[in-house]
Order: sequence, then C-alpha cells, then structure tokens
Amino acid sequence: MKKLLMFLAVLMISLTIISCGAKDPLTVWVGSESVDFYTQKLEDYKAVYLEKYGEEFPHEFKVVGVDTGAAAGTFLNDTEAGADIFTAAHDNLAKLTAGSSAVEAVRSQELINQINADNPQIFLDVIKSDVQGTQYIFAVPYIAQSMILYYNTKYLTEDDVKTWEEILAKAEEAEKRALSISGTDGFNNSFILLAREVETKATTLELYTNGVLENVNATGDDTIAKMKWGQYFFTHPNGGLKPTSATWSGELKNETTISFVGGAWQYKSAAAALGDNLGIAILPTFTIGEDQAYGTCEAGTEFQSGSFFDAKAFFMKKGSEYSEYLEDIILYLSSKEVQEESFEAAQNLPAYKNAQDEFEAFQEDTIEAELALTQLMMAEHSIPQPFGVKREFNVYYYQKGAPELIFEIFENLDDAYTTDEAIIAQMEIVEEIWETGVNNKTS
Amino acid sequence: MEIKDKLEDKKSRETSRFLSFFKKIGINIKTSFKNFVNRFKDGSIGTKLSHFFMGAGNFYHKQFIKGVIYLSIQIGFLTLLIASPKVNNTPIGFKSLVNLITLGTEEGSFELGIPTDNSMLMLLFGVIVIGLLGMFLAAYLSNIKSSYKADLDVKANKKPTTFKEDIASMLDERFHTALLTPAIIGIVTFTILPTIFMILIAFTNYDKDHQGEELISWVGFENFTNIFSGTGEIANRFLPVLIWTLIWAVFATATNYIGGILLALLINKKEVKGKKLWRTIFVLTIALPQFITLLAIRSLLRTDGPINQILMDLGLISEAIEFLGNANSPWLARGMVILINIWIGVPYTMLMTSGILMNVPTELYEAAQIDGATKRQAFFNITIPYIIFVTTPYLITSFIGNITSFNVIFLLTNGGPKVSGGWQAGETDLLVTWLYKLTIEQKDYNLGAVIAIFTFIITATATLLTYRRSKAFKEEDAFQ
Amino acid sequence: MMNNSNEQNVKKYKSVKTSKSVSTIISYSLLVVLSLIWLIPIIWILLHSFRAEYNGEFFVGVVVGDYFPKSLGLENYISLFKDTLFLTWFINTLFVSVFTFILSTLLTLSVAYVMSKLKFKARKTFLSIAIILGLFPGFMSMIAIYYIIKAIGLSQSLFALILVYSAGSGLGFYVAKGFFDIIPNSLMESARLDGATNSQIFGKIILPLSKPIIIYTALLSFIGPWMDFIFAKVILGEEPERYTVSVGLYNMLFGSQPDENLFTVFAAGSVIVAIPIVTLFLSMQKYYVEGVTAGAVKG
Repeated sequence: MKKLLMFLAVLMISLTIISCGAKDPLTVWVGSESVDFYTQKLEDYKAVYLEKYGEEFPHEFKVVGVDTGAAAGTFLNDTEAGADIFTAAHDNLAKLTAGSSAVEAVRSQELINQINADNPQIFLDVIKSDVQGTQYIFAVPYIAQSMILYYNTKYLTEDDVKTWEEILAKAEEAEKRALSISGTDGFNNSFILLAREVETKATTLELYTNGVLENVNATGDDTIAKMKWGQYFFTHPNGGLKPTSATWSGELKNETTISFVGGAWQYKSAAAALGDNLGIAILPTFTIGEDQAYGTCEAGTEFQSGSFFDAKAFFMKKGSEYSEYLEDIILYLSSKEVQEESFEAAQNLPAYKNAQDEFEAFQEDTIEAELALTQLMMAEHSIPQPFGVKREFNVYYYQKGAPELIFEIFENLDDAYTTDEAIIAQMEIVEEIWETGVNNKTS
Repeated sequence: MEIKDKLEDKKSRETSRFLSFFKKIGINIKTSFKNFVNRFKDGSIGTKLSHFFMGAGNFYHKQFIKGVIYLSIQIGFLTLLIASPKVNNTPIGFKSLVNLITLGTEEGSFELGIPTDNSMLMLLFGVIVIGLLGMFLAAYLSNIKSSYKADLDVKANKKPTTFKEDIASMLDERFHTALLTPAIIGIVTFTILPTIFMILIAFTNYDKDHQGEELISWVGFENFTNIFSGTGEIANRFLPVLIWTLIWAVFATATNYIGGILLALLINKKEVKGKKLWRTIFVLTIALPQFITLLAIRSLLRTDGPINQILMDLGLISEAIEFLGNANSPWLARGMVILINIWIGVPYTMLMTSGILMNVPTELYEAAQIDGATKRQAFFNITIPYIIFVTTPYLITSFIGNITSFNVIFLLTNGGPKVSGGWQAGETDLLVTWLYKLTIEQKDYNLGAVIAIFTFIITATATLLTYRRSKAFKEEDAFQ
Repeated sequence: MMNNSNEQNVKKYKSVKTSKSVSTIISYSLLVVLSLIWLIPIIWILLHSFRAEYNGEFFVGVVVGDYFPKSLGLENYISLFKDTLFLTWFINTLFVSVFTFILSTLLTLSVAYVMSKLKFKARKTFLSIAIILGLFPGFMSMIAIYYIIKAIGLSQSLFALILVYSAGSGLGFYVAKGFFDIIPNSLMESARLDGATNSQIFGKIILPLSKPIIIYTALLSFIGPWMDFIFAKVILGEEPERYTVSVGLYNMLFGSQPDENLFTVFAAGSVIVAIPIVTLFLSMQKYYVEGVTAGAVKG
C-alpha cells in the first residue's frame, strides 16, 4: 500500500515536470465547426512556407475549436496562456486593445495590402483601433455573418416572405404566431431597430456613427414609427412571440410559429426543427400603417429589416514566442483562395467582398450556397456592429438594460406604452443609456 | 421573576464570555512577548545567537541536522526576498510588498513593447509574500524555542534531543503535527489564500472594464457603498435578492425537513415490506448528478415539454404554462423552484431520519410499554420528540446550507425570469447565483467579492450563534 | 361470560385487522405514487436517450412533447462516441477521480483522526476555523485559485483540477470524525500501555477497524469530480479535449453556443455517466449505514 502511494506520488511529480518543460506548439483557435479544415490548411501552409522561404517550417501547429463568441473573453482571462492566433468577432476589438493592448498590430505591408484589397469597406472601417495615440490594424477578417429569415414552407411561399405583412396574414390564417426570436437582447431587436427606408436607404437611427460616443440617436421620427410598428407586431395575437422555455427551435418544430430570424450558425437546429419544410430568405420589409405613423414618417413608408453584419477576424497574441511567423500564416489563412475552400468545406461565409461573383460554390444550387447568398444579400441592408471602437459602446448597448426597455415597448408591458409620449420617453432613456451608460429607469 | 433572572443571568454570562475571549487574546499576546524576552535573557549564548542566525543554538548544542535545516530556511527566505525572482514577468520577493500597495505602476507601451504590470499577480504575490513572512516568523520562533529547550535539557542534566529522537516524537507525541501538516498546506494554499485574495479584490476596481492589459487600483469601500447604499442600479437589486434568499432558505429547509421525516416514517411503518427497496428508489435521486436531474426537470417543464403536453391532453389547461421563466408571474417560478427542491432534498432527510429511527434506544419503548402506553402515545411522545431532538442541529446546518444552495436555482432557472436592467440578478437569483453571474460571466470580480463577503458574514454569524447551542445539545444528550 | 368476551375479542381482532389492512393499502399506495413522482424525470431521460425520430432527413434531437418516445434506436449512443469527445471526457474524469480520491481520503482521514482522538493545544481553535472556512462560497475563490495554479505552472491542466478538488478536502472531516469518535478510547489507552506510539496505533489498530469510513470517504471523493461542472469549467480553460464529462455535457445544452438538437445525445451521455455513479453510490450507502449503526450499537 505504501509502495503504491510512493509510486503514484513520483509519477505525478514527474508528469508535472514533464508537462512544465514542453514547449507549447503554435496554437490557433478557430470555430469548432472548422477545426478539421484549418488543421488541414495549416499542414498545407507548411508547403507554402517551404516554397516561399526555401526551408522547412520549424514548428508544430495545434488547432483548437472554441466558441468564437467567447474567445476574446477567454483570451483576456489569461493572455499568457491564450492562443497565438485566435478568432473573434470584430466588435471585441476595443476590449482586446485596451490599455497597452493584448493583441499585436498588423505591420506586414503584404498583409495590409491583402486586407485592403479583399474586404468590403464596411469591414475596413471596423478593424482599426487606437492604442496609446496611434492607429493600427489589428483584426484580419475572414468570415462574415448576418441574420436571415428561416421559415416554414408549409405555411409560407417565397413571395410571402418578402413582407412582414404577408407573413402576418398567413399566420392569422393558420392561427399560428408569425415569428420566433432567440432572445430579447440587442442583437435580436436589430431587425426592427436598424431597418432602413426602402426608397431612400436612410434612417435617423444613429449608433456611434464614425465611432463617436455622442453620435447616437434613438428618438428620430422614423425610429418612433418603427417602435410603434414593432409594438403592433409583437402585440398582435398572431404576431411575434417572445422567447419561451420551449426555445425557438421547439416553437418552430411544434408549429407554434412559422418563421425565425437568426444567424447562419443556427442553421442545423432550424433544419432539425423544420426538416423538409425549411426555407431561407433575406429579412422581409414592413410598412408603416396609419396607426404607426409619427411625425415626418408617414403611413405607407416601407422599411427593409436590418441586421448586424459581422466579421470574424484573426487576432495575434502580443508578445507571442512565434510572433515572426504569425503574419505570414494569417496572410495565407485569410487569403481569398482559402476563404473559398473554407466555404466549400465548412460553410464559413467568406468575408471576401467579391465572393458572390467569383466563387464557384456560390453558383451552385445547394442549400449552403443559398444560405451564403442570402447573408450576402443582407449585407446591403446591414451595418457591422460598431462596438469595437471603445469598450463602453458594447457595454452601453447590450448590458445596461437598453434592449429590455426596447422590448418593453414591443410588448406594451402593462399597457404603459400605448401613447406616443410614453414611447418617446422610453426611447429617450434608451438613447441616454447608449450615450452614458446610465439607466434612468432603475436608479 | 425567575424567568427574568434567568434571562439576565444568561445575558451576563454571554457578555462575560465575549469579554473573556478578548481578554484571553490580550493575555496570550502579553505572555508570549514576555516569554520571548525571557528566552533571550536566560538562554545560553547559542540561544542568544539564534535570535540572529537561525540554527545557531542548535549548532551550539551539537544538533547539527536541525541547525542546518533552520539555517537553510533563513537563507532561502532571505534570498527569495532580496533576489525577487520573476514569475510571469512579476517579481515575487521584497518588491511584492511594495507592489501590493501600488498594484503596479507601469502602464506599458505598445510601441516599445513594454508590458503592462500585471496587477492581479502583484496582488497575489503580495499576499503570498506576507504569508511566507508569517511562516518564516513561525520558523524563527520555533528555532529559538528548540534551542531554549535544549538549554533546559542541559540544565536538567539531560542530553539535548538528537534528530532521530525528534523524528520519533513526530510519530508519537507530536503525531498530530505530522498528520495535519499536509492537510494544512493544502488548505492554506487552496482555501485560505484564495479567500484572502478575493476579500482584497472587493476593495479594488477589478471588473469587466479592467481586463487584459490594464492596471487595477485600490478603491477603498467604493464597491460596498455602491451595493449597500440603497440607490443606484446594483443597490436596487441587492435587497430583493437578499429577501428572496432568506425566504427561500426558510421554505426550502422547512419543506425538506418535514417532508423527509414524514417519508422516513412512512417507509418505516411496520406494515411496509421491502423497506430497503423503497429507500433505494428515493436515494436514486441523490445518486444521480444534479446537473443531469435538474436539467432533465427543466426540460420536462418546457412549454413544449411532456408535462405541458399531458396537461393539455387531459384538458386541464388550454395553453402551455411557462413554469419556470414567466416574467409575468415570478412567484410561479419561485414556487416551482421550492417544489422541485423538495424533490432534490427530501431523500437526504429521509435517509438521515431512517438511520436515526433504526437507532432509537429500545429501552425507551420498553419502558413506555411497561407503563401501559399505547402505540400512538409512544409514537407521539417518544419517537417524534426523539427525532426532533437529534435532528435539530441538522435542521440548523441545512438552513445555513440552503442560503448558499447553488445548483437548484442555477440549473433550473438560471436565476430567471429576467429583470430588466437588473444587473444580471433575475427573479429567482439567490445571493450565491448572483455572485456566480457577477464573477464568472460578467467578470465584475470586485462586486462579486463584496456579495461573497456579505453572504459569508450572514452564514458565519448564523453558524456561530447556533454552533454553541448545538454543542451544548450534544453534551446534554450524552448526559441523558 | 367467557363467550361474550371471546366474541368481543374476535370483534376487536377483526376490526383491528381491517383497520390494519386499510392503513397498509394507504401506505403502499402513497409510496407507489411518491415513487412514481420521484422517478418521472429519471425514466424520461432514460427513455429519450434511446429516442430515434426523424423529420425527413434530419434527426430530431430536441425536446419533444411526448413522454414516451415515438421510436427507439441507438443513434444517440453511437453519436455520443463518434461525434463528440465523450470518451476523452470520460477518461479525463476517471483520471481526475482516481487521484482525487487517493489524495482526499488521505487528507480527510488524517484530519478527522487528529480532531477526534489526539488532544493538542489548538484543537478547539482549529475546529472553529475549519467550520468558518467551509462557509465561504467556493467559486468566489476560483479566479484566485486559477492564478495560484498558474503561478505554480499547472494552469489549465487536469492536475490542477486534482489539486483543487483534493487540497481543501481536509476541511470536510465531520462524518469521518463522527466515526472515529465512536471508537472507544479504551482501545487506544490499552495499546499505549503496551508501548505503542501514536502512529502505530493509527496504522495498526484504528485503520483496520475503519474500513467502512475509509470506503465511504473514498467513494465520496471519487464521485465528486463526476458531478462538478463549475470548478472544472473555470480551471480547465478552452480546450474541449481536457473537459470532464460534466463540463462537456453541460456545454452541449447550456454552454455559450448550445445546440438544442443535442438533447438526446445529452440524455445518452447522462445515462452512461449515471450507471457507475449510481452503482458506487448505492454500494456506499451500505458502508455508511454500517458505520453509523455499528457505532450506535456499540455505544
């Protein structure tokens, strides 16, 4: 017995020492769906490296699948143990570059040129950050994402889903609810909040335009009209449904609702819920009715539902022991060729601006291509999340109660928001939260 | 008249006990100081020297191995302090004490590649160095005492103990030291040290706005005033959460206690066969990991889940009921949570009561039978009081435990239904689940630490108040 | 005279008998109802781990409204081992539990024995401190423990988890202490008269007598890592290959990117995890009860 214990103790100590001494391979964090693909790509990279520099790539790679939504937070928890290259949404930029920055800037001219050539302007605007007075590029986009409409083809046709009014009508007919959403946070209300007039492509809603804190506007006439429409939609007996414990996929499956606004990452669950009845479309338009008109926003104005169009980007760890190799690796992984392969293999929507025309896979008639094209079409009506400029933007927009207040209007909680004045007052509080982070509703 | 005297007597006893506690500490400090001075005065040259060079006294008495040990402790510690080796770019040594106060001053330069000071590690290392100082002090005093003891041995014409004899005594008179040391090392490193660390965090501004390459600083009692002041976003949620926590603790404890006893009595009835089988069925719920059973129940209660389906098929309800997350009826969620907690907790109490029932001293029943009592009288006058008497300490500890019961609320409702602008605290959040959300999800470590300290004060006070009483109980029981 | 009282006795006997059988029926029916209520969620998970429904091409893994699944199959178990890292998680957890139970048992029993049998100066203080320390909410110190482990150099490893689970276990000595309390001091005193040292008493006399409590403590600390999902999540970091079963299963449904469709796979994983734990737990019951009752009978 004693001998066994001694042996185990020695074993443990030796294992500890061994794991201490081993050098960590070059670690890359990508989305869990793409681990196999990028492991293969990094192997291929070794050949590219050999050709480019004439010698063998001297290190080993390790690819880990992570939740890219939380990756930035995980990285910041322990930057020293974080990956050398990791994937995160672009709006984490502010968090990552705060203080003296935990991530490294892009300095290689070759990479900068590729970034500028390949990405749409909306992305180029959000990948730079100010660190201690100087601006650098930090994020290298390679995946894009947007919200789209999933719908039940049993109740809706391709034409029906062009407008919310049609969807509502069909829902009424079938005695179902028109829409499920996956949450009541600031991401999910964006399809109403960010909607733009179909004719003029304009909206008075401003969210940190040009990255300036004061450039917020939530009280424009059309915004109020949109809020009233949202209220009409969610209080309609067959209208939108607030998330229940059945979750949106349960509601779709049980045909409690007939459509769902979500991201491409929810495709599998939507497919499991709807099966052969799955349809995909860009978000519908809605028209301001008589009761919803307000101020300069007249009845009959048609709005196209908006969305956030986000980029997932590569970031480099500052002070990584492999820092000299990282930019070249990223140059390869974010190149348009690899983006095309990534789309074919793992259905990652490319960030490349001309993917729609140039990539072969987009010309095919598969559900993946449809998913991708739909998202790209939404890009015209979307803005990237403008929260990467300063950390406060993200916190003020999402975490100070503003989304809940907006939803209170939609639900007309306690009938408190039936009047225009009430709605305006609420939106003023929302605007103040966006600008100052102070929630006057609760304090 | 008598009762009043008794109460006053008790009060004065308690106050005198309280005062004597502090008096004792004062006396202890005085005597140890006196001893210290006396040892220096009366000690041999070796002892006097060991005040400056650890191990000197042992060398003087030819206890070479011991002397070497003490001397190396001194050298090792002083080296650490002065050399201040760097772990993760942060020094651990004398500088740590300075860093503890400043929490880092170097803001770092991105351009020049100068890293920002890691305030967290500085705080940690500062505490560690203080801890090491304490341990060094203990070793220092022990070194003096051992030399002095050798002095006394020599005076009494005995040989000073050899190393071998010391080891032997470790296995005999001081066996308790040998057994306790590994446990104490583990506890100090992984319980005491982190706790001190977190208490200190409550006085800093380490929150979600200060992650990554940023410095953290001391903010004094600012976090405390934020939470307890009664106004402001956080404070608005604090009182509701606290009140619900107390309500929850009371109901959860009461229902589980009574339910468990009743169930144990039911199974224990004479006419019930297969007692073990019945008990095993209920114990099954304890055996399964809670994250499985609670998540299962949560899924069962979904609006598209089986329970709602069955209720609708039976025609009892026309629309699915949102049991656990309905913002319009938070008390439904709260009630459900208490109900489900019964499912989780009754088997525990049942087990314990069953064990007690099996051990009720039979003499009591025999005596009652001789006195001519009926079964019913025996039950109500012996069994019940006995159970209540023996399980009262358990009742108290389970109440205190329920204040910090985490799994049930977290897994069932995640604290929901949500409260708008609620600083993450939902309708069913307890102090501990709110603490989890603040710390792990929100990364507002300082606020979480304040809540944790507050929760601890509540539970510690409750424990201290009841512990003494339960101890007294135990003594009386033996006496009976 | 005799006949009357006999009749009366027979009547009394009959009425006692009927009231007895009525109460038996009531007791049994109550028990059956209660047992069913208690077993509903467990049976449900078991049944649905075998559910295999399809909606066209797509496997329906989400929660459905039926208590009894419409069709059965083994797909979930297969998917569990093929598509998820369940096997790795299982092995990880096994690894952690074995080492945890060795370390924890040693520490807990040492402390319990000292607290129960050995008299020394600071005993009462240690007792009070131990109780108070145990009251701090565990995960408050998790971020601190994470940094401490990082400073040692073990961060994000299973070893760290072992340390975390075992190191503080010295504080959980109450049950073991209760058991040692019951062992009569006379045993120890006579051994000491025979010249045994304290360590010899502990090793040669007390430990052999303590089989029930050793097994109880060992099993308890073995089961712990299988049930905990909070500490493991914080200490282990991001790599799914290092997860324990509880973290892995929890992440499926309630992590940051939950997949509702994995519910049935989750059920399958739960069943597999449950089998060894329940078996161990039920066998541990025997020892606990043995230990406690043995002490009571003796005393």
